[in-house]
Amino acid sequence: MTTVTAPDAPPGATAAIRKARGGGFWRYLLVRFLLIFPTIFILVSLVFFLMRLTGDPITASLGDRLSPDQLAERIHAAGYDRPLIVQYLEYLANIFTGNFGSSITDGRPVTEILLTYGSATLELAIYALIVAFIVGIPLGMVAAYFRDRWGDAALRIFAILCYATPVFFAGLVLKLVFAVWLKALPVAGRASTRTELKLQQLDDPTGIYLIDAIRTGSSSAITDVLTHAVLPALALGLLTAGVFLRLVRTNVIGTLSRDYVDAARSRGVREYRLVRRHALKPALVPIITVIGLQIAMLLGGAVLTETTFEWKGLGFQLAEYLSKRDFVAVQGIVALLAVIVALTNFIVDLIAAILDPRVRY
Amino acid sequence: MVSVSHKTRVLAALALPVSAALVLAGCASDAGDNGGAEGDSIIVGTTDKVTFLDPAGSYDNGSFAVMNQVFPFLLNSKPGTSDVEPDIAESAEYTGEGEYTVVLKSGLKFANGHDLTSSDVKFSFDRQLAIADDNGPWSLLGAIDSIETPDDVTVVFHLKNGNDQTFPQVLSSPAGPIVDEEVFSADAITPDDEIVAGEAFAGPYTITSYKFNELIQFAPNEAYQGLLGAPKNVGVTLKYYTDASNLKLDVQEGNIDVAHRSLSATDIADLRSQDSVKVVDGPGGEIRYIVFNFNTQPFGATTPEADPAKALAVRQAIAATIDRQEIATQVYKDTYTPLFSYVPQGLTGATEVLKDLYGDGDVEKAEEILAAAGVSTPVAINLQYNPDHYGESSADEYALIKDQLDASGLFTVNLNATEWTQYAKDRTADLYPLYQLGWFPDYSDADNYLTPFFVTDNFLVNHYSNAEVDELIVKQQTEVDHDARTALIEEIQAKVAADLSTLPLLQGAQVAITGKDVSGAVLDGSFKFRFGTLTKG
Repeated sequence: MTTVTAPDAPPGATAAIRKARGGGFWRYLLVRFLLIFPTIFILVSLVFFLMRLTGDPITASLGDRLSPDQLAERIHAAGYDRPLIVQYLEYLANIFTGNFGSSITDGRPVTEILLTYGSATLELAIYALIVAFIVGIPLGMVAAYFRDRWGDAALRIFAILCYATPVFFAGLVLKLVFAVWLKALPVAGRASTRTELKLQQLDDPTGIYLIDAIRTGSSSAITDVLTHAVLPALALGLLTAGVFLRLVRTNVIGTLSRDYVDAARSRGVREYRLVRRHALKPALVPIITVIGLQIAMLLGGAVLTETTFEWKGLGFQLAEYLSKRDFVAVQGIVALLAVIVALTNFIVDLIAAILDPRVRY
Repeated sequence: MVSVSHKTRVLAALALPVSAALVLAGCASDAGDNGGAEGDSIIVGTTDKVTFLDPAGSYDNGSFAVMNQVFPFLLNSKPGTSDVEPDIAESAEYTGEGEYTVVLKSGLKFANGHDLTSSDVKFSFDRQLAIADDNGPWSLLGAIDSIETPDDVTVVFHLKNGNDQTFPQVLSSPAGPIVDEEVFSADAITPDDEIVAGEAFAGPYTITSYKFNELIQFAPNEAYQGLLGAPKNVGVTLKYYTDASNLKLDVQEGNIDVAHRSLSATDIADLRSQDSVKVVDGPGGEIRYIVFNFNTQPFGATTPEADPAKALAVRQAIAATIDRQEIATQVYKDTYTPLFSYVPQGLTGATEVLKDLYGDGDVEKAEEILAAAGVSTPVAINLQYNPDHYGESSADEYALIKDQLDASGLFTVNLNATEWTQYAKDRTADLYPLYQLGWFPDYSDADNYLTPFFVTDNFLVNHYSNAEVDELIVKQQTEVDHDARTALIEEIQAKVAADLSTLPLLQGAQVAITGKDVSGAVLDGSFKFRFGTLTKG
């Protein structure tokens, strides 16, 4: 996690940090990068052992059809009765050679699963981040601007509701209101059946439906894809929007009370300009740091959002494979998610270090 | 004080996301789903999943539902019945002791133009046995000793168990699809994409577009000349759902034409009251039942107070006390029906023997049985169920069973739940005196509800053994005369009902929801849902 010096650190300290930036920066970068590996290692190891604590896929699927001897025979044939440490070392060796194996339950290569469904999750995460930015940042500014007035109070309650409401519940409410009652938006899915069939005809589809829809050249397909994205993006995006709103509000309020803002105000700079130009930019720096954490939250939320809205991405697949105790597929998906989160945090740390000289390294 | 222009900008910032959503919403009416996306093709929704299209690699409802549309079978059943007859075969019969001969229709072809010959048939079964995949149905083919193909249209199966009467049903089961030997691998599961690209289909439909567990587009296969005939529609699109409530909403809103498997009992009850859809019911193959462990149940063989007569009385009293109709209505909104025999309704040999013997919720009879056996009441019972393998309503089902037994004053039930993988191990380790199980059939024959459960050394491992039952089961398997076999099946059930190795409770009904303008949805004892009978408009 990036550390930020106290806002009122003496100018000399910042200068010293800047001076030391040369070697320190690269060392900082290297340490952050190297931290990615133990993070991923710990996570995949945890998943490996936790999955095996919950039983094997053969017993899960055939426990009420086979006798104990028959079950034992099949478990033995699959190698699930070997010592755990042997299975673990084999798993690690495979990972290091880039071999994620094939799903136990449907035999699909894990890399294919990751590529096929990863694009859907990526698309949803991008839509959700857009919603988070569009809703969280302007409303955070408004809340700061109307500090301690009713508008601010209402927005703070809205923010709390956004991040405290379970994402599946938010999804169900949105679906009930906009799809069932108002019939204004689709119930679920990434596109209508008509559009899905159209996209399936494309050569080498990207799996990102908006891009694929653009490639078809059909405006109705594009509109259809975007329409289907509205509710899932809102359900997942509002989760993060609430965090952004609170963060922007707090930081803008903080910067609005700084001396340089008072100086600008005394020079007659208008309030709106003060907020937008002088207070907002410094307030956005912590947002970059928070994005790293929010990516993990978004991916966690994606499991529920994707299931609620039939958004067939990695989260949806993870839930499916978990229910079947498909060790290999779950390990592969979690490993990818771990890499995404670790890399995002690394990039965020890097950007924060470049943008903010107060970051210690 | 904020100037007007600033306020306007603030409002504009606020209005941006809202207006964007509204614009998109406004466009939605043009581009949303509507039933019959492509011409008059029919959209079917399901929550089932495909494991593999390759019959050697999958043994589940979702995969079999697709196979039924695109692969041919030697024998099949016409919609509306579960009795099998030749599909792409001209004839199929026993031609000697343990020799089952199938003669194919002449000129059969796959959609890709390859000839479908006896060599493909032999290949289809040989490869299943060679691959023996953990997820596959190869174990159903255990009766095959060898296969001969004297000419291009004749296949001779040499069977291990004489004239096995279940073999014709096995040929129409998940082990029975015939595949193209020029496309499928002889010793490995063939990936879905290769099957689709190779157009290795000779059933009523071909697949023209395939996205794994998302969308499959079927088009009629003009090369098919089997029992089911040409499809009555121009094509079907099968759409996969994760969440049953989304499936329900889409069929309710007319976004899809048919919803088949698996809506919740509450959703089905709700849809029954709606004018926009039709609900089609049919018998189901799933059964739910209680297993008695003959060693550890009250008065069981290894308990300190072991007494076979009292143990039987306890089983019989439980059978009499439980009110199945109440469970079916209260818990499952009648999406399950009471089951009073071992072979479920819809299959040859189904009876109501348990109702005749013990009634339904008949506490007086239970009291009489226990008193006659000298069992002092209340009898303490440890009843086990699983909350995560047989649906969310298991908890309600078993809570109601506990209530019924407790309320009789004859039993005091200690109800416990265990997570599935542990449960599956514990149940065969004599840890549960009475416990819940469920069963989905491998094929639509009474034998599939008898042999696995009641022969000595059955998969239940509940220490039940009855030499007479063993003998009768073997006899019915090879009895050629239909009526005589039916009588044997009924006799087996009467004997097992008297012993009560297990207590059948409920039979799952099949349900399909269709739009008002859709007809031809047939749900029968074959448990196969054929798209070819569906019409729209």
